[in-house]
Amino acid sequence: MDDLTEMLKGTLEGCVLEIIGSEETYGYAITRRLNELGFTDVVEGTVYTILLRLEKNGLVQVTKRPSGVGPPRKFYALNDAGHEQLATFWAKWEYVAARIDKLREGGR
Amino acid sequence: MRIQDIIEGKKQWRAHVARVKALPPDYRIVYKEMQRYLFKIGPVDLPDGSLFSGIVDFFEEGVAAGKGVLELIGDDVAAFCDELVEDSRTYADIYQESVSGRKAR
Amino acid sequence: MNLWKAITGSDLTREWKTFEVRAAALPADYRVAWEEIKGHLFPYSDFTGRNLQPILDGALRLLEETAADGQGIHEVLGDDIKGFCAALAGGAGSRSYRDRWREQLNDNVARKLARLGG
Repeated sequence: MDDLTEMLKGTLEGCVLEIIGSEETYGYAITRRLNELGFTDVVEGTVYTILLRLEKNGLVQVTKRPSGVGPPRKFYALNDAGHEQLATFWAKWEYVAARIDKLREGGR
Repeated sequence: MRIQDIIEGKKQWRAHVARVKALPPDYRIVYKEMQRYLFKIGPVDLPDGSLFSGIVDFFEEGVAAGKGVLELIGDDVAAFCDELVEDSRTYADIYQESVSGRKAR
Repeated sequence: MNLWKAITGSDLTREWKTFEVRAAALPADYRVAWEEIKGHLFPYSDFTGRNLQPILDGALRLLEETAADGQGIHEVLGDDIKGFCAALAGGAGSRSYRDRWREQLNDNVARKLARLGG
């Protein structure tokens, strides 16, 4: 689906946390995963800025590893604070999603 | 700042500039325009250069993967820059804080 | 900072001197712009001028980098240096300035990449 940028703002970070949470991975792989999921507008640059923020906020552990071609790649894994942040994200997501569903179903 | 630091800083900056020069033309163009924009808005963590060297790291990976620069960061370069510095205070923020005598946010 | 430095501002003086040394290495039209920038930023200064240091440093870096690229000063700063300085200090109208810089950035990229493609 096109033009999700505005709507995805704020939730994309949670998606990236979730992806990193399941296994240590790097920017390009994360972007591919999001694209395959159907978020086709997400480019590597977007993921880069999110990873930078996660790193600055001390939520990830970063390891540089050599890659087959080109410069070494930065691999990201969640640390304890990152896992906590991920749990918070899902809690918030459920809260918002439940209420929005309710609204659509006409409930109160 | 000691003279030593200035010289060391210049050396590092020169090495950085050399890396930028080694990028393909489309990357170089975008990098320079980004840098110009970032110098104007002046996020605070600029002086140590980690933001800029990080961008070059990222660009070099894109080059190695055979991508065009806009394919890598999207068409809206300004939006990419804004995302990069989203939670950094800018010079303007710091100035405004010094005027009001408290934190701006 | 010790009291002596606070009174004499001697550490600041040294930084100001560094700025001027850097500025002296700029091309003539850039030096004129630097003088103008200082003049316009002065009203934003506090008693010691300390709050302006990072802003001036950023402005000087911008001038140094763009001069090294051989860009014309006009291409860098536009017509309204006063407005540019207000925006640097986060003063009135800085938001619209930032929007303009944003547009400039994307326009420049589009134009230069198109030229590259031939």
